[in-house]
Amino acid sequence: MTPNTTRWSLSPFETARAMSTNDPQPKSAEDWAAEMAAVSRRGDRDSFMRIYDHFFPRVRLYLRGLGSPEAVAEEIAQESLLRLWQRASMYEASRGSLATWLFRIARNLHIDRLRQERYWVALPEGAEPAEEAPDEPYSRAESYADHVDLARRIEKLPATQARLIRMSYFEAKSHSEIAAELGMPLGTVKSGLRRAFLKLQVEVCGSAS
Amino acid sequence: MNPRHHLDEATLVSYAAGALSDGMRAVAATHLEACGHCREQLAGAERIGGVLLSQRQPGPEAGGLARLRAEMLARLGTTAQQRAPLGGEASGQEEAAGAPDTDLLPRPLRPYFGKSWRALRWRWTAPGVHMIRAGRPSGDTLIMLKIAPGKSMPVHSHGGAELTQVLKGAYDDALGHFGPGDMADLDCDIEHQPVTSPGVPCICVAALDEPLRFPGWIARKLQPLVRL
Repeated sequence: MTPNTTRWSLSPFETARAMSTNDPQPKSAEDWAAEMAAVSRRGDRDSFMRIYDHFFPRVRLYLRGLGSPEAVAEEIAQESLLRLWQRASMYEASRGSLATWLFRIARNLHIDRLRQERYWVALPEGAEPAEEAPDEPYSRAESYADHVDLARRIEKLPATQARLIRMSYFEAKSHSEIAAELGMPLGTVKSGLRRAFLKLQVEVCGSAS
Repeated sequence: MNPRHHLDEATLVSYAAGALSDGMRAVAATHLEACGHCREQLAGAERIGGVLLSQRQPGPEAGGLARLRAEMLARLGTTAQQRAPLGGEASGQEEAAGAPDTDLLPRPLRPYFGKSWRALRWRWTAPGVHMIRAGRPSGDTLIMLKIAPGKSMPVHSHGGAELTQVLKGAYDDALGHFGPGDMADLDCDIEHQPVTSPGVPCICVAALDEPLRFPGWIARKLQPLVRL
């Protein structure tokens, strides 16, 4: 009912300016892959902390956007990064970007946390408290070029589609929530997301499997 | 099992974004377990999340970094790194050993309905219809339905979002034949009348996303039937 206008005044995807305050120099997905290799092979802490310095603030920001209170966002972001350290040996750079893996880890931890908060009440007999959501580092071949190309496509999305994507990924809003907030029919929300997704998907099928 | 009816792309995006309600998430995950095509698509949707994550620009207000950094360094010292798994990762312990246990419910449904098909406690709700409703402390509705073979369901359309995954048996409607593994991810204005196939009962799991803003037809329709 109260559209948060200030939120929308942010630039669409906080554009891909590679520079950020805590990064002395920008790094590509390739650089991160090299750092991860060092973490995996030798348990290199310097490499890990470079990954940490870059990604921790982003993961924390993402989690805050999903509505986590500050302390929880902080805790889950720490946990997410620690998983990279623990599972570094599972990571194969040729098969997926570090950012995608981290995204999946943080999202899953966030969902788990919400679920725990909701279902502290007794589970049915024989139920398992933890759900699906395995967080393997990758589920499909993905090249560096894909990552860059996808970033470009995201920037080119029409405003409405960009907004639907943003509300989905940055605020974890359901179709009905988006529909209610924007005063759009549910079908329009779904078709907008569908179109955005298809636009972002083109040509990745060419890469292996 | 090679599903022919898949998740809508819009649903996949929301799944990837962590934006589905718990019930819808469980139903979508059940389909994903059975469907390589949708897993591929999901990977694409997650890549979008990865790109968006890496594009976030934390502002200067992001505080506490020195403290958190020190804390992380300390944890590295006490946290072992896992060795590379041998010959791929076993995703499920119990399934890994020997023949698959046919009594096991799909993994994503176990938190809500338990592990075992045999232990399910079906409740009669209407002639030829049995149901189990997952205990849902909040939000959406998650149900398993068992419909006798050769039975026709009332004509209905979908006011809110609804995901239905066929687990056993099959049904037909205007959209086609839906067998085990198939997903009915229906748009709101589709009206249909499912008729279950002869032979075995059709067992489905369905999630209805019903925020308060949508006092849906579903509740009204099913109310006399299932006492929602």
